[in-house]
Amino acid sequence: MKPSRILSTSLFAFAVLAGSSGARAEVSPLDLVGPIADYKIYVSENLEKLVADTRQFTDAVKAGDLDKAKSLFGSTRMSYEAIEPIAELFSDLDASIDSRADDHEKAEKDPGFTGFHRIEYGLFAENSTKDLAPFADKLMADVTDLNKRITDLTLPPEKVVGGAAVLMEEVAATKISGEEDRYSHTDLWDFKANFDGSRKIFDLVRPLIEKDEGDFITKVSANFDKVDETLGKYKTAEGYELYDKLSEDDRAVLAAAVNTLAEDLSTLRGKLGLN
Amino acid sequence: MAKDGDNFATTRRKVLFGAGGLLATAQLPAAHAVEIGREQVTDAPVSDKTQQRQPFHGLHQPGIVTPRPAAGMVAAFHVLAKSPTEVERLFRLLTERIAFLMQGGAPPQLDDKLPPADSGLLGPDIPPDNLTMTVSLGASFFEQRSWLAAHRPVQLSRMAASPNDALDADLCHGDLLLQISSNTPDTNIHALRDILKNLPDLMVLRWKQEGSVPVLPPKPDGSHETARNFLGFRDGTANPDANDKALMDRIVWVTAESGEPQWAVAGSYQVVRIIRNFVERWDRTPLGEQERIIGRRKASGAPFGGKVEADLPDYAGDPEGTITPLDAHIRLANKRSKGSDANLILRRPFNYSNGVSKSGQLEQGLLFICYQADLEKGFITVQRQLDGEPLEEYIKPIGGGFFYALPGARDERDFLGRTLLEAAGHQMAGTRT
Repeated sequence: MKPSRILSTSLFAFAVLAGSSGARAEVSPLDLVGPIADYKIYVSENLEKLVADTRQFTDAVKAGDLDKAKSLFGSTRMSYEAIEPIAELFSDLDASIDSRADDHEKAEKDPGFTGFHRIEYGLFAENSTKDLAPFADKLMADVTDLNKRITDLTLPPEKVVGGAAVLMEEVAATKISGEEDRYSHTDLWDFKANFDGSRKIFDLVRPLIEKDEGDFITKVSANFDKVDETLGKYKTAEGYELYDKLSEDDRAVLAAAVNTLAEDLSTLRGKLGLN
Repeated sequence: MAKDGDNFATTRRKVLFGAGGLLATAQLPAAHAVEIGREQVTDAPVSDKTQQRQPFHGLHQPGIVTPRPAAGMVAAFHVLAKSPTEVERLFRLLTERIAFLMQGGAPPQLDDKLPPADSGLLGPDIPPDNLTMTVSLGASFFEQRSWLAAHRPVQLSRMAASPNDALDADLCHGDLLLQISSNTPDTNIHALRDILKNLPDLMVLRWKQEGSVPVLPPKPDGSHETARNFLGFRDGTANPDANDKALMDRIVWVTAESGEPQWAVAGSYQVVRIIRNFVERWDRTPLGEQERIIGRRKASGAPFGGKVEADLPDYAGDPEGTITPLDAHIRLANKRSKGSDANLILRRPFNYSNGVSKSGQLEQGLLFICYQADLEKGFITVQRQLDGEPLEEYIKPIGGGFFYALPGARDERDFLGRTLLEAAGHQMAGTRT
C-alpha cells in the first residue's frame, strides 16, 4: 500500500466520523482519541525495541557470529510482528524488510529477496554468515527508516482498529502453515507477537463497547486466552519451541482460534462506527 | 464422476437430443423406455447447447471476440520443434486438430488391439459444444529460434513482475499457449488430451489453469448481464463492445498501421494472469469498504452515483473522488478521459478454484485474460495505473505471461502460423500465399 492511500483513507474516515453516520452512534470520534494515542505509544515502544534488537542482530551477522545471530533471529522479529499492520503501511519497506522467497519469481536467488528472511536463509539454510553483510546493512537502514516514517505518521483510526483483524488474517493466510520462518522454524515467536499485537488493539478499544457488546468481548477474550494457553505449552527458557514441535491437534486449535478471531475482529471497526 | 457411465450417458444424450435419437427411441426395448422418463442418479446432466459450433476459419482466430462460454482453460507448453520444417509440422498439426475438434464428429475407428484414437470422454461422436481453441506464442518461442528472432512482434516480451506479484516460476510464461473455451470443462479437457496425444514429440505441457464463469438464467427481454468474479462483483461491465468491428480493429487487432511485422496483422497481444484472491479475508471486509475498493455497488454493479450497471461514472464531475474514490479499482483501471481511450483492452477472464493452500485457505481467484493491439498502451499501462491500489491487500498475482495470438487460418488450405513461416523465408508446398 502506498502512503498516498493512507492519507486519503484517513481523511475519509475522519469525515465519516465527524458526520456520525456510523452504525453505533454511541461511540463518538472523541472516544477514540485516547486509545489511538495509547496505541501510538505502543507502536513507538516496539519500534525502539526493533531498532535496538536489529542493531544487535545485524552486528552479530556482520561479525560472523553465526550462533549468536541465529539465537537473536526469533526475538528480533517480535517487535516488528507485533505492529505489522502499521509497519506494512509502507509497502516498499515491507517488501524489503519482510518479503519471503515465494514473493519473488527466482525465489531465494532473486535479487529482490532481501531483509529478515534473506538473512534467515543464509543463517539457517546455508548455515553461514558469508555474504550476508550487505543484507544486514540494508535491513538496519530499512528499520531505521521505518522508525522515522512511522514517527512522522498520523495513525488513521480505522487502520489501527482494523489492525486487530489484519494480524489474524496474516496468521490465517500465510503463517499458520509454518511458511513464514521456513528456514529457522521460529514461527511460534511470530505467532505470539501477532496475537499480542492484535490483543493490544482489542484491549485498548474494549472499554468503548464493554457496555453494549458484553457477549462479543467475552467470546473474543476467550479465544485470545485459548491461543495463549496453547502457545504456552511450547514456551522455553529462551522463547518458543521450533514449529515442527507443534502438534497436529494444537495446530488445528490455533487455526480455528485464528479463523474465529479474524471473523469476530473484522466486525470491530463497524462496532466502533468506523468506516 | 460420470466416467463410469460414459457410454450409457452418451447413448442417453443421443436419445434425448441427437437427430437420430427419436428414431432410436422407437427401437428401444420397453425397459429402456421406462427409464427415459425417470432420471437416475448417474444420468448425465443434459444440455441443449452441445451442438453449438464456432467457426474456426477466418481472418482472426476464434476465442478472442467470441462471447465467453461457461468454461475456460489455458495450457502453456514448452515447444521442442526447432527447425522451420518441424515448426511447420507443429502449426499444421495444431491447425488440423483444432479444426476437427471445433467441428466435432467421429474420430477414426482403429483396430481394438491398438489404443483408441480418441480419449472417448465425450463419447464416440464428439460434440463441438461451442469449443474454441486459440494459439498464441511467447517471446521465448522467437528467442530460441534464431531464424525467427527478427520476426518477433515488436512489443512481445517476457512478462515482468509488478510490485504486488508473487510469481511462481512453475506457473509463468511458455513458448506456446492454448486458450481453450467451451460450454463445459469436460469438452476443454477432451481437447487438451487430444492435443497432448497428437503432438507428443513437438511440445510438452508446462502448466495449465482451468476456470469457469457463473451461469445466469436468460432474461425475459433477451438482454445480458456481466458475470461476477469470486469477489462477488460484476467484472467486465466497461469492456469494449466486441460486436463493433471498427472498435475491435482499433483496440484488439493488430493492423497494417500498428507498426508490427506484416505477418502479425490480424493477430493480437494476449495477457494471461493467475490472480489469487484472498476470499476469506475479502468475505470479512465491510461491504462499504469492498464497494469503495472496487468502485461499484456490489448487488447491482452500478457505479457510485448511478442506479444500474450500465450507468457511466462521471469522473470529470468528481475530481476529488468524493463519489468514486480516486483509488477505486475501476477508476484507476479506466480513467474515462480523452486520452485513456488508447488504453482500452478486451477482457475475457474466468474464475478459478484449485483446492486448499498450505495454510488451509481456498486457492482461488481470477484467471485474467485480455487482448489488445498495443501491449504497452493496453495491459502494461493499465497495470501500472493499478499498482498500489487498495485491492492489492486482497489479491496476489502468482502466474501468467505475455503471448501473441496468431492471425487466423483463412480457409481449409491455410494453417495457423503460415504468415510467420513465410516471413521467415521458409519454403512450403501446397499452401495458399
